[in-house]
Amino acid sequence: MSTQPATRPDRNELPVVQQIISVMWPSFITASAATILFFTLFDPTELGTIGGFPNLTRTGGYTIGFFCFWLLTSVSCAMTCYFRRPTHRPTETKPEA
Amino acid sequence: MSEPAAKAQEATIEQDLYKKREKIYPREVHGIFAALRILAMVVLLGLYYGLAWVNWDGHQAVLFDLPARKFYIFGLTFWPQDFFLLAMLLIVAAIALFMFTALAGRLWCGYACPQTVWTEIYMWFEQKIEGGSRKQKKRDAGPRDLAYYRVKATKHGVWLAFSLWTGFTFVGYFTPIRELWDAVLVWNLGPWETFWIFFYGFATYGNAGFMREQVCIYMCPYARFQSAMFDHDTLIISYDEKRGEPRGSRKRGKPSAEAGLGDCIDCSLCVQVCPVGIDIRDGLQYQCIGCAACIDVCDDVMDKMGYPRGLVKYTTENSLEGKPTKLIRPRILVYVGILSIITAAMVYVLATRIPLEINIIRDRNVLYTETNEGLVQNVYNLKVINMDQQAQRYNLSVSGLEGLEVIGPTEGIEVESGAVVDLPLRVQVDPIELKSSSTEIMFHIESVLTPELSVTEPARFLGPVLR
Repeated sequence: MSTQPATRPDRNELPVVQQIISVMWPSFITASAATILFFTLFDPTELGTIGGFPNLTRTGGYTIGFFCFWLLTSVSCAMTCYFRRPTHRPTETKPEA
Repeated sequence: MSEPAAKAQEATIEQDLYKKREKIYPREVHGIFAALRILAMVVLLGLYYGLAWVNWDGHQAVLFDLPARKFYIFGLTFWPQDFFLLAMLLIVAAIALFMFTALAGRLWCGYACPQTVWTEIYMWFEQKIEGGSRKQKKRDAGPRDLAYYRVKATKHGVWLAFSLWTGFTFVGYFTPIRELWDAVLVWNLGPWETFWIFFYGFATYGNAGFMREQVCIYMCPYARFQSAMFDHDTLIISYDEKRGEPRGSRKRGKPSAEAGLGDCIDCSLCVQVCPVGIDIRDGLQYQCIGCAACIDVCDDVMDKMGYPRGLVKYTTENSLEGKPTKLIRPRILVYVGILSIITAAMVYVLATRIPLEINIIRDRNVLYTETNEGLVQNVYNLKVINMDQQAQRYNLSVSGLEGLEVIGPTEGIEVESGAVVDLPLRVQVDPIELKSSSTEIMFHIESVLTPELSVTEPARFLGPVLR
């Protein structure tokens, strides 16, 4: 038997709120930085014209760009969170007698 | 940190990790640092909400005009081409923060961080509407009656209104705020503006109303790494353990020596006022945002007891150990050095910046053509960008080959301030001058009135090579 009480969660398990924060928040920061860098180099209206959205306004372009970046970075953060979970847990053996 | 204190902290951290977060009801506090905090809050919030409405030279003083891809900061206009200046500015800000952290610990967190400032004003609203911390606690534990919902609805109403105003001001820094306000009045906002006002408003409402100290503890990267900048001479808020222990209650005015106790009367007020819910007497903790509420309240208690102030105070680790505190130390000198170099470079770049740019795009369809006269002709499209504050007239010339001739406007090209003018140009030359199939030629453009205002930009001239 484990010495820990049954109600106590695994050490590697963070509360749900913190798990959500650790995915959404770092990705938000990196997405913001990426958006600034990207749109400094590229004008969203020009990208829109090339991509077949001639009516795209700049503000719209920035917004869509930001959320695309956020989606990508949050996927990356989520995968990191997922992979850092231990894949194998040693099976608990009952002590003799 | 002492051994039992470390253990106690570890225990609370474990508790925090596994327990649902309980709302902290910090007790209101008065004193010199509370007054300073309020002053900082008023100044910073005043700047945030006010600066957006200030005009300068006929345009909004601070406007990061994203729709027009231009940043106005008072008399200066920045273009995407000036991005490296922004990068430098961010580096300066980061290093300045490191330096202030090494010197003054978490002064930033306690007084100037937006999270602290907005949390403070949201708590102020809360206390005005809901009453003090004890009243709030009682209400939250009490019955869910009409009075309860009325008070809560009022609070959230005020919070939401303030959040929306915050979101509106935020968007007002990116699109001209007066136009935005007119659009709000007739309810004719663009979809993206509406979205960002609500998005930012919602973020403010959540962070300042609900998340509060959790943002500092779980989300702030600075809170995690600031300890790396700390040394024994860094200003920290600390409880004087030698003086305070053993703690215990006693009659008012009774000297500690008589009671056989330290100066800490264990009134727990320092814990009650803490916005992050820690006990400063457990030693230096990463949750502590350095707001100094515990100093204010403890000084008050010491006054009442007739003990000297400063049981909890701003101090340094060296001073706590009875050693002198050094203000100037190698770490600080390095920060100052880096800061002055980058700042000087930035000022130099800004001062010598030429507010004029040309982009040259060669005609993509044809490499070159031959005219009836037998000349080789290349077609270019020039974009002349006037980044100056006033309209300018420019003269254009081309060099690099003998007898280059420009067909198109070359003299007195007028460009409004902040405007881009397209110049379709043909450049022709006798093929006898061409030494190779591709020659570098120079476009030179200069202001008629101030010839120092000039830019030279290379381009390629293509043509046949005659042997």
